[in-house]
Amino acid sequence: MKTIWIIAGKESAQILKSQRGLLGLLSFSGMLSAFSLLLVSDTELSLLDNAQVVYMLEGTVLAAGALIAAVLGSDAYAGEKERGTLVPLLCAPIAPETLLAGKAMGLLAAWAIMFVVAAPYLWAVGANGQNLGAALFYMALFGTPVVLGFGCLAMALSARTGSVLASLLSTLTLLMLSASPLFIGPGLRGTAIGRALDIINPFAGALNTFDSVIIDSQPFYAQLARALIVSVWMTGCLIAARHSAAHPRYQ
Amino acid sequence: MLEIENLWLTIDGKQILKGIDLHMGPGDTYGLLGPNGAGKSTTIAALLGLRDYWSDRVVVLGQDPSLGAAEIRRDLGVMPEHAGFYDWMTASGYLRWYARLYGVSPTPREIDMLLGRVGLGNVYSHSIGTFSRGMKQRLALARALLPHPRLLILDEPTDGLDPNGRREIYNLLAEFVGDGQTGVLLCTHLLDDVDRLCNRIGIIDQGRTCIEGLLDALMAEKKGKQRFRLRLEGEPDTASLPDSVTLLGHTGQWWRIQSTTRPSEEPSAIWCELWQRGWKIVEINAEASGVEEIYMDHVTRSRQRRQ
Repeated sequence: MKTIWIIAGKESAQILKSQRGLLGLLSFSGMLSAFSLLLVSDTELSLLDNAQVVYMLEGTVLAAGALIAAVLGSDAYAGEKERGTLVPLLCAPIAPETLLAGKAMGLLAAWAIMFVVAAPYLWAVGANGQNLGAALFYMALFGTPVVLGFGCLAMALSARTGSVLASLLSTLTLLMLSASPLFIGPGLRGTAIGRALDIINPFAGALNTFDSVIIDSQPFYAQLARALIVSVWMTGCLIAARHSAAHPRYQ
Repeated sequence: MLEIENLWLTIDGKQILKGIDLHMGPGDTYGLLGPNGAGKSTTIAALLGLRDYWSDRVVVLGQDPSLGAAEIRRDLGVMPEHAGFYDWMTASGYLRWYARLYGVSPTPREIDMLLGRVGLGNVYSHSIGTFSRGMKQRLALARALLPHPRLLILDEPTDGLDPNGRREIYNLLAEFVGDGQTGVLLCTHLLDDVDRLCNRIGIIDQGRTCIEGLLDALMAEKKGKQRFRLRLEGEPDTASLPDSVTLLGHTGQWWRIQSTTRPSEEPSAIWCELWQRGWKIVEINAEASGVEEIYMDHVTRSRQRRQ
C-alpha cells in the first residue's frame, strides 16, 4: 500500500512541477474562464436558467476530465517507455498491480485538482451557489468512475501498444463517440439509436444524471441504473488495464 | 548466485533465446558478450521476471524469477542500457524517491556520499534535465548501487563515459565485488571492459550460449592460437613454413599469420624460427587482445556451424 502512495505522489508532483502539467492546468482554467465569461456575458446565453448553466459547465468539466485522463493514461506506460523511465520502474521490487494502482491514483489526483479548480466556476455561474451541492456531489459520484475508466482504458492501450500516439488516438476516438450525445440534437437523441447510445454509454449516463438531478431535481434512487452503467464501465476498464499492465511493452 | 540452464524465450511468436547457459557465484564479475541482437538484454529481462520463459533451471539469488520476481529484485541493482530519469527531479531527490520503492530510506548524507562516489557530489541539487549523457550514466550507476544489492546487473555501463569516468566505474565495481559476497553481471560489447573487470565470461550468439567459463582458463586455451601482423623486409619464402605457422595473407610489406603454440610456450620461439628461414621481421603486431580473439573465434565458429 505504501508503494502505491510513493508512485502516486510522484505522478501528482509531475503534474504540479513539470512544465507540461502546469501548462495543462493553466489551459483548463483558461478554458473554464472563457466558457464562464461567455455564459454570463453573452446576451442569449445569460438568459438561460441557472440550473441549465451549471449543467452545461459540469458537462464541459467532465469532458475535459476524460480528455486529461486519456492524455495522462496514454503517457503512463508508453510515455515512460519512450523517455526510458519505465524500465527502472519495472526493475524495482514492485508488483505490476501496485504500479498500475499508483498510476491510477495519480490520475485520480489530477481529476481531484481539476475538480477543485472547477468548483469556484460552478459556484460563480450558478448564481452564487445555487445547485452547487448537487453539482459537486454528482460530479464526484458519476464523473469520477467515467474519468477513471477513460484513464484506465488509455493505460491499458498504452501498456499494450507501447505507443503514446496509438493509445491516445484510440481513446480519443472512443471518447468522442461516447460524448456524441452532447453533439447530436434532441431530435436524434429521441430516435431508437440515440436512446440505445444513451443507455449503454457511460459518458451519456453521467451527463443524463447531471441533467436529471440539476435541472429536473430528481432523487438519487432514480439514478441507480445509470450508476450501474458507469460502475460496469469503470470495472471493465480496470480489468483491461490490469491485464495489459501485467506485461507492459517496455522495449 | 545465478544459475541458468537451457533458457528458451519467445517474443511475439519469434524464438529469441534458444538455449542460454549462465553460471556465476559470489565474488564473480561475469562478462556477458555477444553481437547486437544476440539476446543479452532479453536474457536480463528473463532474470528480472519481465518475460515469460521456458528452461531446465533458472535460479537467481536462490529463487525462481517466475515465482517471486519482486522479491528477487529487492536484492538486485540494475543499470539498464538506456538510463531514463524524470528531468524535473533533482539528482538527490530522485535517488531518495527511488530508494523508497525498495523500502529503503537513506539519509541525505548517505545520498550525498553515494553521489560523491559516482562523481556527482557537486551537482546533487541540480535538476536532472541539465545533466549530460555521461552524468546520467553515473546517476544510473548510483541508482543501481542504492539498495545495497547482492547482484549488480549492468547493461553497457561505460557507454558515453570519458576515460576518467570509465576508470572511476572500474574502481567502483572492483570495490563492490571486493568483499566476495556480491557479484556483477556485465553486459557489454566493449571487450576492453571485460578484459579489465571480469573473471568469468559467456559469449552468446543468435540466442545460444557459444561458450562459458573462467576467463583465465579460456585465455590459456586460446593463447596457443594467435594472429599477428608482421612487417617484413623483402619477400619471404612462403613455401617452407614451420608447422606452427599458417599464412593468412599479405598487403604490401605486412604479412598476416596465425601461430599455434602450446600454452607454456612463448611466440618468440616462432619468430626465431621464421628469422632462420629468411623472414626479415621488422615489426610485430598482435591482431587482437585475448578476449577479442576468444570472442571472434567463437562467434565465427557458431555461425559457421549454423550455415
